[in-house]
This record gives sequence, C-alpha cells and structure tokens, in this order.
Amino acid sequence: MANPELVRPGVALRDDELRRIAERLGREPSVVELHAFDAQWSEHCSYKSSRHHLKRLPSEGADVVLGPGQDAGILHLGEHAGERYGVVVAHESHNHPSQVVPYEGAATGVGGIVRDVLCMGAEVIAVADALRFGKVDDPGSHARYVARSAVDGIGAYANAIGVPNLAGDVYFDAGFDDNCLVNVIALGIVKESEAIASYAPPGAGGWDLVLVGKSTDPSGFGGASFSSVPLDAGDEAANKGAVQVPDPFLKNVLMRASYRVFNLLHERGIAAAFKDLGAGGIMGCSAELAASGGYGADLNLDDVNVAVDGMAPEVIAVGEAQERLLWALPPEATADVLRIYNEEYSLPEIAHNARATVVGRLTAEKRYVLRYRGAVVMDVAVEFLTGSIRDELPYVEVIRHEPEGAELPAVDVERAFPRILAHPDVCSREPLYRHYDWVVRGTTAIARDAADAGMLVPVPGSPLAVTLSIAGNPRLGRIDARYAAERAVLDAVRRTVAVGARPIGLTDCLNFGNPRKAEQYGELVAAIDGLDRAARELGLAFVSGNVSLYNESSAGVAVPASAIVACVGALDDVSQAIVPGLKSAGSALLWIGSRELAVGGSVLADVLGIDGPLPSISYDAERAAIGIVAGAIAAGTLLSCRVVAEGGMLTALARLAFDARRAGRALGAELDFGNPLCEAGGFLCEVRDAPVVDVSGTLKVGTTIAEPRLIVNGTNFDVGQLYDVWSKPLAEIYP
Amino acid sequence: MSERLVEIALKIPDNAAFTALLALRRLGLDVARVERSEVWRFDDRGDPATLADRVRANETIFNPNKHRLVELETMRPRPGETWIERRDDGDEVRAHLGGKGIAGVNASRRYAGWRLLTSGGEPASRETLAAAVAGLLCNPAIEKAIY
Amino acid sequence: MSGAIAVLVFPGTNSENETLRLLRDCGGRAELVHWSRGETLGDFDAYVLPGGFAYEDRIRAGAISAHDRMMDFVIGGAQVGKLVMGVCNGAQILLEAGLVPGTGPIRRPAAAFTDNAPVPHFVCRHVYMKLAVAPARSPITAALPDEALIPSFAAHGQGRLAADAAQLDEIVAGDRLAFVYAHADGRLDDAAVPNGSALGCAGLINAAGNVLAIMPHPERDAWNFNHLDRRQGSDVLAPSGGSVLFASFVAAVDAR
Repeated sequence: MANPELVRPGVALRDDELRRIAERLGREPSVVELHAFDAQWSEHCSYKSSRHHLKRLPSEGADVVLGPGQDAGILHLGEHAGERYGVVVAHESHNHPSQVVPYEGAATGVGGIVRDVLCMGAEVIAVADALRFGKVDDPGSHARYVARSAVDGIGAYANAIGVPNLAGDVYFDAGFDDNCLVNVIALGIVKESEAIASYAPPGAGGWDLVLVGKSTDPSGFGGASFSSVPLDAGDEAANKGAVQVPDPFLKNVLMRASYRVFNLLHERGIAAAFKDLGAGGIMGCSAELAASGGYGADLNLDDVNVAVDGMAPEVIAVGEAQERLLWALPPEATADVLRIYNEEYSLPEIAHNARATVVGRLTAEKRYVLRYRGAVVMDVAVEFLTGSIRDELPYVEVIRHEPEGAELPAVDVERAFPRILAHPDVCSREPLYRHYDWVVRGTTAIARDAADAGMLVPVPGSPLAVTLSIAGNPRLGRIDARYAAERAVLDAVRRTVAVGARPIGLTDCLNFGNPRKAEQYGELVAAIDGLDRAARELGLAFVSGNVSLYNESSAGVAVPASAIVACVGALDDVSQAIVPGLKSAGSALLWIGSRELAVGGSVLADVLGIDGPLPSISYDAERAAIGIVAGAIAAGTLLSCRVVAEGGMLTALARLAFDARRAGRALGAELDFGNPLCEAGGFLCEVRDAPVVDVSGTLKVGTTIAEPRLIVNGTNFDVGQLYDVWSKPLAEIYP
Repeated sequence: MSERLVEIALKIPDNAAFTALLALRRLGLDVARVERSEVWRFDDRGDPATLADRVRANETIFNPNKHRLVELETMRPRPGETWIERRDDGDEVRAHLGGKGIAGVNASRRYAGWRLLTSGGEPASRETLAAAVAGLLCNPAIEKAIY
Repeated sequence: MSGAIAVLVFPGTNSENETLRLLRDCGGRAELVHWSRGETLGDFDAYVLPGGFAYEDRIRAGAISAHDRMMDFVIGGAQVGKLVMGVCNGAQILLEAGLVPGTGPIRRPAAAFTDNAPVPHFVCRHVYMKLAVAPARSPITAALPDEALIPSFAAHGQGRLAADAAQLDEIVAGDRLAFVYAHADGRLDDAAVPNGSALGCAGLINAAGNVLAIMPHPERDAWNFNHLDRRQGSDVLAPSGGSVLFASFVAAVDAR
C-alpha cells in the first residue's frame, strides 16, 4: 500500500500509481511532485485509457500538414500569391466545468481552444460549439440554467475577442441532465511555412521559458483530475473551485500582442516554440514542451507573476488559471518579446499583474526541476512525468439496443410534419446563435445555420474559402455507439459537400462515460472503431481530437454515446459556394443517396413514439452520392442543396424554402414521395431541369414552384406558417 | 416583509476597479484606491437568518469561487461611497436573477457600488465623489447616483 | 493628396482589421493607430473608431475610453472640423465623449446607447440603416442617395438610444438623427429595430455634421462574398453593400 498520509484531498492518483512513483523516484514524492503527477497522469492529460485505441485513427493524407500530437492540427487550404495557407483546427470538451459553473466553464472552454490554435502561430478566425443539454422544459431546472448560461458564456467570450461563431449544433436529451456536453472547436489561418511548433525544436537547450498572460491565481487548482472522475453532486462547492475564471478582455489583447510577436519572429527568421497552458498549468505545459523536443526544464516558481501572496508552490505549479501561454525563445529574442507584451501591449495595465516574464529555461539534462524559495521542490526524469502511462482496461463489445424490425406504420404527414419542425432537435437554432457574434472580422460568407456548413473567406485579397460543419446525433448514440460515430463522420462530410466545399479533414471529441466500467468503456472503443471505419472509407484523416470520460451521473448512468465530429472543407474560390435557399421555380428536386425507409433513431420515431431498425450504411452509395453532388456543382447545374438528416427529406426541403424566404424569394415545391420524413441520409438538391447530371442513384421527388407552399402528396403546407412553427420553440429558452 | 441590503463583491483581483482608478486619476482626483461591489436591495418575506444562504444559492449572481457576500446594516452608501442605479433596470435585474430568482424575495433593485479612498486612506470627500460621479461613474441619461 | 485616416485601436477593440480593410478598399489612406502610439494621432485628418469592447466596457460601454488619451486628439480634431466616425463600440465612445448628439459639454454624456430592450441581451442580426437626414447635411453622408438603405449587422448588447424626452426632442429638432432602422424595402416599424432604440435610432450626428456615430456594422456586409445572394458584378472580392457609407466617408476626407 502507498503511504496513506500521501493520499490528500483533491488528488485522484490511485494506489498503484502512487507506488510506481515512489519506486521510480526511490523516495516518497514531495507535495509538489505529488500534485504534478496527479495532473500529468490524469485521464485529462495522459489519455491513459484511450490513447492506444485512438492511435488507430487515420492521421495522414494529402491535405494533412500537421496531424495529431501538438496543440492543434493543420490542414492545407490552398495557395494564394505564391504562399501555401493552412487551416489550424482544434477540438475540445469542457463538459465537467460547464455542468458545475456553466457560464465560466463554457467561456473558459472557448478560451482554451482559442489558445490551442493561437499557439500554432495562427490568427484565430472562427469558433464553433457542439452542445448537448438536458431536458429544459422546467424553467427552474438546473438543466435550463446550464443551457442558458453555457450559451451566454460562449457568446460573451468569443464576442469579446472578436472571433465569429461559424458552426454548431445543440440537442436536448434527458441523458444530459447530470452531464451537459460543451464541445468547442476553433479555426485559425497560418502560412504553412510560418507555423510555430508546440515542442522545443533542435538546438533549444538553454532557451528561455517565457510565461505570458494572466497572473497565476488559485482558481482552477485540481482541474485536470477534477475532469477525470465522475461528478459528485455533494462536492459541488469543491468542484466550483476547480473551474477557472475567464478574462476575454485580456485574451483579446494577448492575441493581438502574440500576432505582433509572430511578425517579429518571422521578420528576423527566429525559430521558437509556443504552447498553451491548459491542464496541469505551468508544470504540465513546460514539461510537455521540453520533453517532446528531448529536453528537460528548470523553472523558478518565485519568478511567476502571481495574483496573491502566499500561494503554495504546488498551486503555482499546477493551478489552471486561464489566459496564459508559454514561449520557449532563443535568448536573443527574449527582450523584444517582453517589450511587445509588457510595453507595446501594456499587459500590466490590462489586468492585475498580467505580464510576460522569464520563469526558467530548457536544459539538455532530461530532468524536470522546479525551485521555490531557494529549494528544489521537484526533480524528476521528465519522460517519466510526461511519458506514456497506459491503462489497459477491460471492455465488453457493444450490443446494439435495437428493437426487432418493427413495421413502419403509415404516417400522417399533415399532422406529423409540423410536430417534427417544432421538435427541439429540428427547430430553428437562431434564438440561440443570435446571442453569438457570427459576423465579426467581416469574413463571413455563409453564416452559421444559413446552410449545412458555415463558410469564411479568411485570407484578405484571396477567394480561398474554408467551411466547418459538425455532427453527432445522441439519439443514434443511445442505440449504437459505433453506428453513431460512423454517421457523425458521414453527416459532417455530407454537410461540407452540400455547400460546395471539398472535405479536407476531420476532428473528433469523444464524450463517454466511465472507462472503469466495461460496458461504458466498450462504447468508447466501439465509437473509435466507427470513426476509423468511416474516415478510411471516405479517405479522410483526423488531425485533432479530445477525449472526455467520466461523463456519468451520480446514479452511474453514462451520457448517450457522443462521438462528435467536425469536418473542415475548402474551396479555391468562394464564388463556387452553393448559395443557401431555393433559387427558381420549375427546377427539379432530386434526392441523391440512401432513401431507406428505416426510422430507428429518427425524430419521426420520437414524435410518433415508435421504434424501428437503424438505416443501413453503404459506403459505396455514400461515395457515389458525394460524387454526383460534387459533379453537379462542377457542372454548374446544382442550384441549392441540403443534406437529409434530422427530420428527413421534407425538413431539408422546408429549410431550403425558409432560406429562400429569408433572401426574399417566395418559392415552394410540389413533392411526390411516400414517406418524406425518414432520415436515412443523402442530399436533397435543386437542379436545373436539363438532364445534365448523371441521374443513376438519384430520384426526382418533385419540382419547385413560384408560390411559398409545399404540396406533399396532395397535402398543402404554407411556407410562412411552417416557418413560424419552426422558428419559435427555442425562443422560450433563449429569449 | 422587510427591506434588506446585500453587498456582493469580488474576492479575486477586480480589474474594473483598477481601470476606474486610473481614469479617476486622469480626472485629477485624489483617489488612491477604488472598491467596487454590487449592492442588492431585496424585499424579503423569508427568514432573515437565511437570506445570505438563499442569495448564495442563486447561481447567476453569486459564484463562491469569485464572490464574497456581506449583509449591510446601512440602507445608504457609506462615507466615500456612491451607489449608481440604472433608471430602467427592471428587465435587466429580472434577467440577471435568472429563472429561479431567490426564494422568499419578492422584488429587488440593484446598484453598482463604488467606494473611493484617498491617498491618506480616508474615504473620499463629497466633493471628490461628486466630481467622480459627474465625470465618470454616472451617465445621467440612464443612471442616478446616491451618495 | 488624399487625407490620412486613423483607425483607433483601444485595448479590447475587435473590429479594427475589417474596418481598415474596407477603408482601404474604398480608396482611403488609412492605418491602425494602437493605444501605445496614441501621440501620433494629431498627424491624421480623420478618425474612425471601430467596434469591440474597449476597456471591456468597464463602468459603462465607452465610459473609460472616452477618457483615454487617444480621445484628447479625437475631441480636439472634431472641434476643428476633422471628420470622425464611430461604429458600434466606437459610437458608444463618441456618445460618452459628448461629441454626439453634442447637445451638452464634452465628456458629459447627454444620452446613452444602453441595454437592448425588451430583452437586455446581446443580439446579432442583419439590419438596414436608412439615412434620416438630407445627404448634404453631413460631408460623411454627402455621397449617399436620399434615404439611402445601408445593409449592416447589428451585433451589440447595448445599442438602444436612451435619453430624456427633452433630449430626444432636441435630437430630432436639431436634425441629429442620422440613421434609423428599416426593413429591406425601406419601411419603418418596431420590428425593424433590433434593440428597442428610442426614435428607432441607428445613428446620431453632431450639429456641425462632422461626427457620425452608428451602432450597426456596415463593414460586415461590405464585400460581395458577405452577401452572395445580393452579389453585384463578377468580382466576389469587390466591396459592395454596406461599403457605400465608408466610400462616402473616404470621399469626404479626400475632398478636404
């Protein structure tokens, strides 16, 4: 047994891990070392129970500039004026903090993901959010408070730093009552030749370690291990203390000052490393930066700018105060970098004791050393601290919780369709996202939810465009984790194709339950299988990702399996974008892709209270459908398009009519298809009536008309009335 | 029913107070320290002994990680202090209290409290307060100041 | 020789780059002036205050910035007739500085752009600003047609004009209500106003007509790619839409 005196409140290390540390050190660890290992060996930092599975995911491809492993991945966007431009992308969760203190928790989620992109040397161009909240029907429920406050926090943070919200989704499901999911994604733009590494490059021995940003305070102490155990409602006060305090105003200035530093380094041709402080604080950041380049580090905690006197060294070392980054700089650059942050951008006048300051240096000896008040308080082999600890946990194969093939009943479309449009998973998200700024920077070409993916024009003077789409349907996750993961990839990719973009890469965030329960762990493993299969079938790589485990209620119930996937797309010329909304009367409506009449996991099944099998997945058919749509776009025959997803083909058509209405075009359609509410997949496309596209694998389901009506198998819907039904429900939650 | 005042202030560094201090000095005022708080006036029907706990339970206005809470004996600003109230604050106050409100509390008003201390550590004079209010702390088109 | 336009960057400003880009795309000789270089502002002929959250809107939106050293130059310049335009947070700063509506002393605000109503919350929404004065009322609007409709985005939590009745009367009587919110077809009604603003006000101008404060952002609906639906001409990167106001501003600066 480990020394029981070492087991302190707030330390989540297990006995076997404590024993391993003491054996390796040949002594009992110091208090600082104990907290350092606690953070560094937490699930949050080490991915100890998921990393060996994640390794399977495809991570290479023609568009991959930088795969997983650093703070963010980089994908090749295109060339302009002889420069190659990359899109930096990062994807993370901030689930536990957002459940406990939703405003701060969600805001710091945005703050963290923005730093991950910034520290690659990139200008941050967009954020996105995938949200999963509990049932919010009761105005006094904690779930509603979380749903509102998390959105407020995301909005306030991104608005203040001036980064548009480009994409996102939200679901409301009782499975998230005790564990909301707040996944955030950020995009940046960088000249590929100017990307900055988050590891120490060759020759970095003796370089200065420069800590930049907010003064270190006691907030967020214990955050890494807090994110790595199930939430216990009884510990709420203690949990709140582990949530950091956001300061987007300081971040706004830090970002702009860092852009200035990037310029200086490029002008002088100076190499450097830059890394975000996240889990594990100063210790975690500096140790990983050093170790991944083959160096050690020697830091003096007395040189850290702190917010209050008398902080214990372990709090300074591993506390997770926000808005901090770490540079490793050749000493000749240090003075100029300090001047930019402290004088030109006057950090000390922006926030109490904020600054850039030298806190240590990289060393050739691979030791990780911390000093405090003249004494060495930590001295360990850096690779032992950051190296691959691994938990081989038992898991059981997931069995699909699916009913036997029930007969699909006849559906009364006239009654069912308005209920589907008003369903919380289908209705308009505008009441939510109008709280976000989605047009700051003046680069927005297709706004969030105006089409299946958001689109930006990120390089001034260039027509290059980047898109972002998100998918991850928890109703599918409840039924089959592997299937849901495959569909998340397919849906995100199809959404990219539907706006006229070429998918160039993927990110994922795996939000699952307790890995120490074989069934919950089995869902995670199955989801990774699903991601792997779908990405390989479509020839795409994952360049960034994150795992959030222990999303389990105090009753021991895990959240619905939630592999949330984002897809980045590229266009060489934004003028090739598919502009949202029906364009003209007399066009043909084609359904391209799977039209299988299976209702498992669908909104229709939820509305009718029925069940049935999941639609099957055929990658041959998916690739063919994507090829047909891309071909129609290239041929100039595709006028408008939406993917068939939640709410089925008729919902996709209604959205196209709503998009047209918003643009002042009163258009509708006449439709003839048996059950237009199934959501097996595919694309609903408006095409010029000339038979230019290869129509194999497609079905003409109707024709557009010059009136704002949808006539479905003879039933007549008024587009304006449908719009009212669809646009209002979330306004009660987000007034 | 009783009228009760509760002060909620940050226990972490208050950057807004720091910025206000720099701006007041630019106005040429003798101010060495600025303390900022949110002062709530509640019409309370609950047990007076539990008011503080009931306020602490409202997650939108009190975060134990950031705030400390004091019940005020006084019904008026203290020496060196001004309370700024928005003229049309009703909707904002309701929104700020969130869906749940505070158990037992019927109605509430909110003030931004600013306490100015001179270089001698004394509460600022009424003249200094008046200059700070007119020059920076209060926009009379939308706010009124009590001091 | 074209006039030199300074785009001011306060700590917390967030819209400086698109503001600069649009002024330049409209032919303006513009550059960013950062708060630590504020002493160079005297060398410029015109000032643009972009959007953001300068000084984190501490105390009130615009309150701290109105006292910033940089504003000494802007106020001094406005008093000798230099052209000044504030957008969103920039408009809030001009109002707190007393430059608009300009009915009271400097740095003694007579009105406010304050919390949106009925819901006091940030809102991001496409809007149209309609010119509510004769174009010749101000050099800044001189190149616009009568009742020009400027497509823009409202993106603010505090954009509602609030003032007492006498002030509002003075704003109207003094022809200082420069822009009102309108629908795409020019109609005016409450539904066109995103924030409950008094008088449906989207923009104010001072008595001399050389200082304009607008809450919406024309620079976010200012290039063809921002509005693919309303795209004009073949160049997807060309300025259009809301750029007409910036073009009018640049023309006025260059005419001086």
